[in-house]
Amino acid sequence: MLITKRFSYFAKVILTAIASTILIFFAQSALAQGETQIALFLFIATAAIIITYLTRVSIPLKFFLPGMLFLFAFVLGPVIYTISMSTFQYQTGNYISKPQSIERLLELGVISDENAPSFDVVLGKTSIGKLAILASNSQIKRYFLSTKDEITDLAPSELTLDENGVAQSAPNFTVLNGADRSKLDKEIASTRFKYQGDFFIKLEGLSAGLINQQSLFYDSASDTFKNKLTGATYKDNGRGNYANIDNPSEILQPGWRSPIWFDHYKNLVTDPTIRKPLFKVFVWTFTFAFLTVLTQFALGLLVALTLNKPFFGRRFYRSIFILPYAMPSIMSILIWGGMFDTEFGAINNLFGTNIAWFQNATFARAAVIVVNLWLGFPYFYLVTSGALQAIPSELAEAAAIDGAKPRQIFSRVTLPLLLQIVSPLLVASFAFNFNNFNLIYLLTGGGPTNLLDGEIAGATDILISYTYKIAFGTNIQNLGLASAISVIIFLIVASISLYGIRRSKVLDSFK
Amino acid sequence: MQKNKFKKGFVAAVVLALGASALAVPAKAADKEILVWADETRGPNLVKTLAAKSDWVSGYTIKIRTFSSFDALKTAVDAATDLTGPDIIVGANDWVATGAKNGKLAPLTLTAAQKANYTANNFFDLSYKGKLYGIPLDINNVAMIYNENLVSKAPKTFGEMVNYYKANKDSKGLVAGLCIAGGGMSWGAHSVFSALGGNAYVMKNGAVDANAKPVSADFVKNVKALLIDPATGKGNGFFPASDTGCKKNFLDGKVPFAVVGNWEWTDYQDAGFYLNLMPVPGVKAGSNGKMFGSVSGALLTSYAAKRGNEAGAKAVLTDFFGSAAGAVAYQKNELRPPANKAAAKGDLLTAQVNFGKASAAAGIPQIGAILNGTTGSKSYWDLLPAFWTAVLTDGKDVATEAGKLNDFLTKNIKAGVADL
Repeated sequence: MLITKRFSYFAKVILTAIASTILIFFAQSALAQGETQIALFLFIATAAIIITYLTRVSIPLKFFLPGMLFLFAFVLGPVIYTISMSTFQYQTGNYISKPQSIERLLELGVISDENAPSFDVVLGKTSIGKLAILASNSQIKRYFLSTKDEITDLAPSELTLDENGVAQSAPNFTVLNGADRSKLDKEIASTRFKYQGDFFIKLEGLSAGLINQQSLFYDSASDTFKNKLTGATYKDNGRGNYANIDNPSEILQPGWRSPIWFDHYKNLVTDPTIRKPLFKVFVWTFTFAFLTVLTQFALGLLVALTLNKPFFGRRFYRSIFILPYAMPSIMSILIWGGMFDTEFGAINNLFGTNIAWFQNATFARAAVIVVNLWLGFPYFYLVTSGALQAIPSELAEAAAIDGAKPRQIFSRVTLPLLLQIVSPLLVASFAFNFNNFNLIYLLTGGGPTNLLDGEIAGATDILISYTYKIAFGTNIQNLGLASAISVIIFLIVASISLYGIRRSKVLDSFK
Repeated sequence: MQKNKFKKGFVAAVVLALGASALAVPAKAADKEILVWADETRGPNLVKTLAAKSDWVSGYTIKIRTFSSFDALKTAVDAATDLTGPDIIVGANDWVATGAKNGKLAPLTLTAAQKANYTANNFFDLSYKGKLYGIPLDINNVAMIYNENLVSKAPKTFGEMVNYYKANKDSKGLVAGLCIAGGGMSWGAHSVFSALGGNAYVMKNGAVDANAKPVSADFVKNVKALLIDPATGKGNGFFPASDTGCKKNFLDGKVPFAVVGNWEWTDYQDAGFYLNLMPVPGVKAGSNGKMFGSVSGALLTSYAAKRGNEAGAKAVLTDFFGSAAGAVAYQKNELRPPANKAAAKGDLLTAQVNFGKASAAAGIPQIGAILNGTTGSKSYWDLLPAFWTAVLTDGKDVATEAGKLNDFLTKNIKAGVADL
């Protein structure tokens, strides 16, 4: 008994140590990549694990903690991040942080003088150990030694030249070998070797130097950039870019992720280029989810009622009708996509038609509903079969004795009882189909879209596929706007789910 | 006693966790290793020519990471961070504008001698706001070939091809006259669009003419006359609105003329076809359709500076990718036309060289800032296929649809030129 206790205690310490090690390892990686929030969460999770499992602070917590951590990491975390990003100007061109943007702009503000000569350079060190270049231009016969502070012209007679007239060595100059150069890479790339006036030599690689000057200067006190050559001043425009104060449409790129608070939400309502397609998609999303649930439930119930009575081969049919549910939906969708092909598809061949299913809005929507019916009716067949078994047969018998016809028994007895049982599942199915991204993306890609008529959203786009297009589907990735639409979807689906949970009274058992 | 035991356990767990995690410090790339990312075809060829030979840039080792596809490479590039990103990406020219705007790419400057090895169009492709972000690597272009078992001599005009198709459609079992086997209905089909009088944009004196109308009245007239069946108002079958099955149909002898990509010319040669490469002939004799003669590029990233590899990465770009010797060594394996003019004179295969010549003769630069519709308008890539479908499949009015196409392209040109 004592040995078992000691062993279990030892095992607990080892398992806790392993879990903590893994989490701290990930936290280190997150810190190294600058993801401080993720690192913080991982450290807190580590502490929570150690405290929960090695103390007696709470026994129930020992069971709930893993679920709570995963819930936070994979549900609450992304929701919070999405809500946060929906308040930012976060799109192509506004991707990095402001300090990174300033750093990039300063680098891009270095202008090369295209008419000036370039120089072959040999990297080395001066007699006092300073990084230097031995620069040659055999065409203009200019040779000099330059460090970041001084430039010394040299005569060819002082140098060892190769067959192309490029200086290879000079007095008081030690040439760096390959290994030394690679060690000093950062210094070599960032050093501005002295030339004349404001001009300096910047290396492009390890053997060529070009004459450059800094044209763009940053003033941190006023948070502005000034272009020395054009005289233009660029000020933070509050939307993640420095804009020319005389011509605000002229902005410096790259910009940064900047908070714009509720502008994306406001644009959903006020900007017609966003509002109109969104409204169209919104209506179709509800229609699609409603028709899907209605048709799947109706067919599932019909099959269940048919198979509810014993007849020859019932088992076989029961197995067959479950098959569409057992098959991976991705495969089914792709096969259906092929079957709806205009030229080679089985459907047009079978009916002798020539319908361009995915090029016409009405046909494409019909195809989407048909395919989803195929994918989903077995679920409702299974659910309603079980529910039908749960309805006492005495009720139907009593109704029959009272003179009710089979149709009346179904509509006034069976169906109301059935709906009472399955309505939470109908609500859940509605919520699921509201976000049925796979079906739309794989079957129609959201199309058809009449691009030449200026349409942005496709005829079969639902909110989630439209959001995906905004975030990743075009060359402009507007992640901020996509996040705002995602938040709206979240609120809708959460409301529907809450309604379903309340109706099912599933939480009542916790009271 | 019990309390003491928990205290000991707690301390043991913390010590074990910290000790183990200290040993498991995240792996960092070797400091002086230049990391190059490439797709599934270019990657292995770079391993053979760049990574295997250590003396391109002494003092550095070069590691090539090959991705399973071009899309996988693009996804990785989008997700790259300061710590995970490479020093050099061998990628598409239309990644340049986005990469520069997002601060993922860094500029480099070439000397006059280095620039002289390329055509100006090549630099258009890899530049944004006047800064160059990479070295032009290989030319991506298409050219038309014809089946010499069906057609005895090269057509001189577009109409000649249409007439051949109409006359021989039934007797020779042709399923189309001209189709796009390589490059799709927007990139590859620009040569047909242009042969009929349309343009993604008009180039004038080496620059984009923002005031020129991209889709002319002649284009409408030519499409109606050459591609539309007056009886049905839809396509006459000469030029299908889709590229599906084109390559197979051409190889099976069911299509006499096809636009093929330079990355797959060996497929046609291996099937016994003579590579009689030519531009798509225009409506008038002597004119021809312009194709995108774009280049893929070896792009410098901003991660190189963060990793302390900027000077070495630039040296790899200029000394290997930008040198004739490097380009020849690489293209002997890659089998595409090199962008480097000196390399094109090197020891390469005839088809590679001829594709390069075709690009130089009838190529226009591929300017992502205009074509991608990055200002929020529709992109050229989506619009042209929509046009083909509208007029050839749906039978919509050519003039109306061409007008809409022109309006969108004009908007894109004006916005794109301002963004260049």
